[in-house]
Amino acid sequence: MVSTNDYRSDYPNHWCPGCGNFGILDAMKSALAALDLPPEKILIVSGIGQAAKTPHFLECNCFHSLHGRALPIATGAKIANHLMTVLVSTGDGDCYGEGGNHFMHAIRRNIDVTVLAHNNGVYGLTKGQASPTSMEGIQTKIQPGGVIAGAFNPLAVALSLGAKFVARGFSGEGEQLSNLIQAGIRHSGFALIDILQPCVSFNRLNTHKWYKDRIEPIEENHDETDLIAALQLTLGADDRIPTGIYYRRESPSYTDRIDKLSEKPLKDHRYRPELLEALLSD
Amino acid sequence: MTVDISVLIGGEAGQGIQTVGLLMARTCHRAGLYVIAVNDFESRIRGGHSFIQLRISTRPVHGPPQTLHLMVALDDRTYELHQPDLTEGGLALIPKKDDADTIAQHHQCKMVDFEGLAQKAGGRILTNTVAAGTSLALLGAPLDLFENVLKTTFDHLAEKRLAQNAQAAQYGYAAAKDETFKWSWRWEMTSPKGRLIDGAHAVAFGALAGDCRFSAFYPMSPATGIVQRLVDMAPTVPLVIEQAEDEIAAVNMVIGAAFAGVRAMTATSGGGFSLMTEGLGLAAITETPIVIVNAQRPGPATGLPTRTTQADLQFVIHASQDEFPRFVFAPGTPFEAFSVTARAFELSDRFQVPAIILVDQYLNDSLFVAEESFEAPEAVTPFTVTDDDLDDAKHYRRYELKDSGISPRALPCNGRALVKVCSDEHDEEGHITEDAEIRDAMVEKRHAKYDAMRRHIRPPEVIHAGSDILLVCWGSMRGAMEEAVNQLRADGINCGGIHVVDVWPFPDAAVSEILANAAQFFVVEQNRTAQLGHLIRQQTGYRYTDAVLKCNGRPMRAGEITEAIKTKLK
Repeated sequence: MVSTNDYRSDYPNHWCPGCGNFGILDAMKSALAALDLPPEKILIVSGIGQAAKTPHFLECNCFHSLHGRALPIATGAKIANHLMTVLVSTGDGDCYGEGGNHFMHAIRRNIDVTVLAHNNGVYGLTKGQASPTSMEGIQTKIQPGGVIAGAFNPLAVALSLGAKFVARGFSGEGEQLSNLIQAGIRHSGFALIDILQPCVSFNRLNTHKWYKDRIEPIEENHDETDLIAALQLTLGADDRIPTGIYYRRESPSYTDRIDKLSEKPLKDHRYRPELLEALLSD
Repeated sequence: MTVDISVLIGGEAGQGIQTVGLLMARTCHRAGLYVIAVNDFESRIRGGHSFIQLRISTRPVHGPPQTLHLMVALDDRTYELHQPDLTEGGLALIPKKDDADTIAQHHQCKMVDFEGLAQKAGGRILTNTVAAGTSLALLGAPLDLFENVLKTTFDHLAEKRLAQNAQAAQYGYAAAKDETFKWSWRWEMTSPKGRLIDGAHAVAFGALAGDCRFSAFYPMSPATGIVQRLVDMAPTVPLVIEQAEDEIAAVNMVIGAAFAGVRAMTATSGGGFSLMTEGLGLAAITETPIVIVNAQRPGPATGLPTRTTQADLQFVIHASQDEFPRFVFAPGTPFEAFSVTARAFELSDRFQVPAIILVDQYLNDSLFVAEESFEAPEAVTPFTVTDDDLDDAKHYRRYELKDSGISPRALPCNGRALVKVCSDEHDEEGHITEDAEIRDAMVEKRHAKYDAMRRHIRPPEVIHAGSDILLVCWGSMRGAMEEAVNQLRADGINCGGIHVVDVWPFPDAAVSEILANAAQFFVVEQNRTAQLGHLIRQQTGYRYTDAVLKCNGRPMRAGEITEAIKTKLK
C-alpha cells in the first residue's frame, strides 16, 4: 500500500509560512496514497509560479516547464504514454492568463489530465500584481486605482467549452480537496479542480477567513450531470461559494479516440523498416 | 539530342494550375526525362495569378527554369505577364475568344478553346486535363503515356470521371494537331530516372526514417505540406499528429512527447518559429530532444506568405535568450532533405539537444527528380536508458554531471527511476537551484556536448575543388549554384562551388581548408545581408569577396548568378 510518506521529499520548501499551497500539497499526497498510486506511476507537469513549484516538494516524475505551457507539455506527454497518471499543477496566472489559449483547447481535446489550479487571485512570485481571477476593483501596487477588468470565471468557461469534470475546492478543506483530487484522477478525460487559496503575502482581501465565511459544500441534491445547473452554480447568485463537483460526465478522452493507442503506448512501439519501405515504394 | 525546355502554365488560383503541372511533370518523369516543377502562387484561395513552371530535360537539371519556350495561359493575365519572357520562336496557348483581339493575332499565339473542349468532355473541371494534353502533344509526348498518368493520378475517381479525363486528354491532343512547336522532340521512352518528389514529401519521409512518432503543428505556409505528407502516411505507421491551437502549444506538445519517450517534430515558418523560440529554450535547458523544421518564407512578420527566401539562418542559430548547443541543417535537394531530417532526429536524441532544419518554399513546394535511393534505415538506435542500465535507479539523477555533458536519459513512468526536469536552472536531480557553482557546472555540462557534436558535423560539398573562384551557398541554392558553376566554367572561368548543409555547429576547419586555396569566394544567398558570408567570416576569419543576393521571394536562377559574377569579376 502506498502511504503519504512515499511522497515525502527532502527538497527544502520555498513557500511562505501559512501559504494555502501547503494544504493543497497535503491533499495531493493523501489523494495519491488513497488511490494507491506510487510516485513512479505519476507525472506532474507544471508551469511557472508558486503552484508550479509543487512537484519539487513531493516525490514524483515531473516536468516543471514554462509559464502557461504546462497543458501542452502534459498533452504531448500523455499522447506519448497514455498509461501515465498526469496531473497539472498550475496557478490562476499560469493557467488562465499566460496559458489561457492552451486551457481552452486542452478542454476541447478532453485530454486525460487532472488540473489542479491553485487560485489565489493574485500573482505571488512576481510580488502582488492582479491575476485574471482578481476581483474587479481590488487594489495592487500596479493597479493602484483598482483592477478594471472583470474577473475570469474558470468554471463557467470550462463548462461552456464542454469540460466533463469541473470542481472547486478550498485549500483549507483538506479532506474534501483530497476527495476531489481522487475523483478528478479517476475521471477519464480533462478534469479541472479550481482550488481557492489565500495568499498570505499579497492578497489582503481574500484571506483564509474571507473564504471560510463564504464557502459552502454543494447541496447533496445537485445533479452532477446537469450542465445548466452546474453553470448556475458557477454564476454565484449570492456571496456563497459552492465547493465540490459542479459537473461530471464520462466521455471518451483524446487518447481513447486514437485507435493506434489501444494496443500499447506510442512510446512502446518499435521502429519497423518495412513500414517505411512500403511507403517509399508506393 | 539534348532537350532543355521550359513550360509555364498560368491562371487564377482555383483553376487547378498545380494539377496541370503535376500531370505534366509525371508524364515527363515516367518517360525517363528530368524535370523540375516550380510553383508560384499568391496567398489567396481564388483569383489572382498563379503559375507553375516546368523545366524538362534529357540531362539532369538542378536549378529553376531559365528561358520560357511554351506558355499555357488559362487567363489573359498570364499571357500579359509572361509574354516578355517567351523566347524567340516560343509559343503561347491562350483561351479561345469570340472577339479575336490583337493578342490572339500575335504570331506567337495559338488559341485553344480549353473550356469549350472541357465542357464537351464532361465539364469545366476538365480544363486542366485539356491544357495538359495540348501542351504535351506539342512537346511530342505519346498520348497513351499521358493517359496512363491520368489513370494513376486520378485513381480515386469513379470510372465515369476517369473516362471523361481520357476524353479531355484526347481533345487536348487534337487541338494541337495543326500546330508545330519548334522544340518538339521524339520521345524515347526510358525508365524513370529516380523519384519525382517535392522537398516537403522528402522531409516527411526523413522524419519516418528518424522514427518520428509524434508531430504537432499549427498551419503555416509553406510548412503545412510537410505535415500533410505525414498525415497521408500516418495510417500505416505508429505516428500521431495533432493540430495545436498555436505554435507555442505545438512546440510544447512536441517537447512533452519527447520527454515521455517518443521522437517528435514540428514544422513551421519563420513567424511560427518566432513563437516557438520560447519552447526552443525549454528544450535546451531541459535537454529534451526535438526537431523543428523552419520552412522559410520572406518576412518580417507576414511578409510574402507563399514565396521563398533564405533569411532565417542567423535567426535560428541564435534564437532564444542565453546560449546553448543546437544543430542547424539546411538541405539543398529532396534527397538531402530526407537524409538530413533522419540525421536530425538521431543527433538530437543522441545529444539531447534541439535540432533545426531550414528548408524554404522553393524546396518544399517544387518537384524534382531525385536519382538517389531513399532507403529506410535498418534500425533506429534509442538513446534512452531504463532501470536495468542504471546502477541505482532509486537515486537516478536526470542531470548527472558527465564529462561528455550527456546524462543518461530515463523516461518518466518507465520504471523506478523518477525523472525530474525543470526549466529553472537545476541541480543534478532536476531541482531548482540558484547555487553559483552548480549553475557554472550545468552551463559547462550543456556546452561540453559541442565537442562531440562537431565530430558528427559533415563538411560541405565541394564542386570542382581547387578552383580559383568559389561560389559558396547553403540550403536550396545548391541547384542554381551548381548550374552557374558549370556555365561559368564553360565560359572559361576557373570556378567551383561549396554547398553547406550542416550549418551549426559550423564546420570551421573544413571550410577554412577549402577557402584557404581559393583566390576569391562569392556567397550566393537569397537574403539581403549575406548571412552565410558573415557566418563564414565569424567562424573562419575569411571574408567573402562579394555576394550575389536576391530577396524578392522568387527563386534565384543560374543565369542571374553567372551574370552577377561576370559583372563582379570585370
